[in-house]
Amino acid sequence: MKVVDADDLVKRYRTGGQTLDALAGVDFDLDAGEFVSIMGPSGSGKTTLLNILGLLDTPTEGRIRLDGQDVTGLSDRKRTALRKRTIGFVFQHFYLLPTLTAVENVEVPLLLDQPPGLTKRARSLLERMGLGDRLDHRPDELSGGQKQRVAIARSLINEPKIVLADEPTGNLDSETGRQILDEFQRIADEDDVAIVAVTHDDLVNEYVDRTVHLVDGTIGRERKSGG
Amino acid sequence: MARRNLTRTKMRSLLASLGIVIGVIAIASLGMFGVALQYSFTQNLGDIGNQITVSPNTAENVTELTERDVRDIQRVASPTATVAPVKQRVEPVSFDRRTTGRQLVYGVENPAELYEAREGRITEPFRTGALVGANIAEEHDLHPGSTITVNESTVRVRAVLAEGDAFSSLNPDNRVLLPASSFQERGYSQVYVIESSGSRANETAMAIRNSLNDRQERVNVMELGSIVDTIEQQFQIINTVLVGIASISLLVAGISILNVMLMSTVERREEIGVLRAVGYQKRDVLKVMLMEATLLGVLGGVAGVVLSLGAGLAINHYTVGDATAVFRMANAWYLGAAFSFGVVTSIVSGLYPAWKAASEEPVEALRG
Ligand SMILES: Nc1ncnc2c1ncn2[C@@H]1O[C@H](COP(=O)(O)OP(=O)(O)OP(=O)(O)O)[C@@H](O)[C@H]1O
Ligand SMILES: [Mg+2]
Repeated sequence: MKVVDADDLVKRYRTGGQTLDALAGVDFDLDAGEFVSIMGPSGSGKTTLLNILGLLDTPTEGRIRLDGQDVTGLSDRKRTALRKRTIGFVFQHFYLLPTLTAVENVEVPLLLDQPPGLTKRARSLLERMGLGDRLDHRPDELSGGQKQRVAIARSLINEPKIVLADEPTGNLDSETGRQILDEFQRIADEDDVAIVAVTHDDLVNEYVDRTVHLVDGTIGRERKSGG
Repeated sequence: MARRNLTRTKMRSLLASLGIVIGVIAIASLGMFGVALQYSFTQNLGDIGNQITVSPNTAENVTELTERDVRDIQRVASPTATVAPVKQRVEPVSFDRRTTGRQLVYGVENPAELYEAREGRITEPFRTGALVGANIAEEHDLHPGSTITVNESTVRVRAVLAEGDAFSSLNPDNRVLLPASSFQERGYSQVYVIESSGSRANETAMAIRNSLNDRQERVNVMELGSIVDTIEQQFQIINTVLVGIASISLLVAGISILNVMLMSTVERREEIGVLRAVGYQKRDVLKVMLMEATLLGVLGGVAGVVLSLGAGLAINHYTVGDATAVFRMANAWYLGAAFSFGVVTSIVSGLYPAWKAASEEPVEALRG
């Protein structure tokens, strides 16, 4: 079943008389439980695509369907609500809130709703990420890799259908990187969560089902992975 | 979360709420200062606003007030008013049996309705003895039981009168009072009327003028009620001006909060972007930011009120001479107003930064 179905996405930026197509007609499909990586040189539009898939940004042209629902022209309010329900983000610079502990950071997306068992769930997510002994540490007391794992735990707290990760292993040694990727694979396989990871790291490609190459805002050759 | 954010930027939050604290203190203590000023002034004025003094108009060759005049005054005065006719005479008086000086003595029928005794008792009816004012008693060391000589006859002091209001024409401090029955004169030199309020006194004074000065300007009527009212209105204006000045300082405080909140939204741009990205609606972000502003305002306000109470105690100690006078309704009003002003200022100045933070596009905020 397709969770994402995007057709002919164009994102056009106008800066000082010049126009720049960060995305120049991209088709992108994603099945439930699929683990896909996006590769491409810097400035090729990877983050832009991820933002549009994650309803953070709107395409200039093209259509995007999420779970069969057309979300192309939705209001900010509706996009925000949908984001909260179906999407988890792992940002390029993790962006944890410095005042909050690891557990609280994981809780943040649902902090205003306070569903029962929130803290328990946040703890168990962190434990799964191997951070059982760092639950009450502040971000400035964590290493880069640990912060990254807190960020991943945060992206999973709302039980999303899609996790969008920008450079999830960029700050990790290959050992920790594998641990994270194992976890992603497990989430994709067991929980049927679709995962899109932007990466420069060839390690990632050992785990993914498919790699999409982006060059100057267009999809290059696509390759099915063996995994 | 708001609380955490404030503790993170402790120094800055402290400075911001310091502005509010100062603003609140300025408003509250200037307000209280005005109140204390007014209070100490009215305390000095005492009841003179309620008093009317009727005296014969010597310019028209009227030298005394008659029984009829007194009855007329009683008739036009309100039923609750005190009407006290007084006689005057200059007598040779000796306080120490050696030196004799000429002293104005007053004849009063019932001094108990005008004065209180500081020492001794004012007998009712007042038939014998003498009452002396506080200054005379101190000067000549007189106490109940002492004797003085009036026109060569010995009179016993019954009581020393309590100090009167400084500006009152009834002020007994330098007077010697004798029973009216000891005066041969039939007429009165003055009639005092004490009403229950300044406005009543004003009406009564007019009525007395109408009735006694009907055909001839027989009497002078002195009445301070309207003057006292005017003075009190002046004080109200002074107070308003003082508080207005203080409000400017609160305005400055508001701008400093605006600045703090703006800086914090710039600094926390990315965090706010994350919040938006993980599904916080604009109004959620708005709420969180406004909570911070409110918290700043409330904390600053509470601190300000506490400090102003201290200031108020000091102010009242020095102006009224009674620190506890700070616990008066008018002061509570100023404290309350200053507090709510502080909170409102901080919310209002938090509004724009909060709105700015909430309406930024998360993509913009999160781009590297
Ligand atoms: N708001 C914007 N205004 C103008 N140009 C933009 C804007 N956002 C992105 N771009 C441009 O769009 C192009 C794609 O940017 P994007 O961030 O998607 O690159 P990327 O593939 O994620 O690069 P990297 O690997 O360095 O993160 C870049 O050339 C960038 O300069
Ligand atoms: Mg990028």
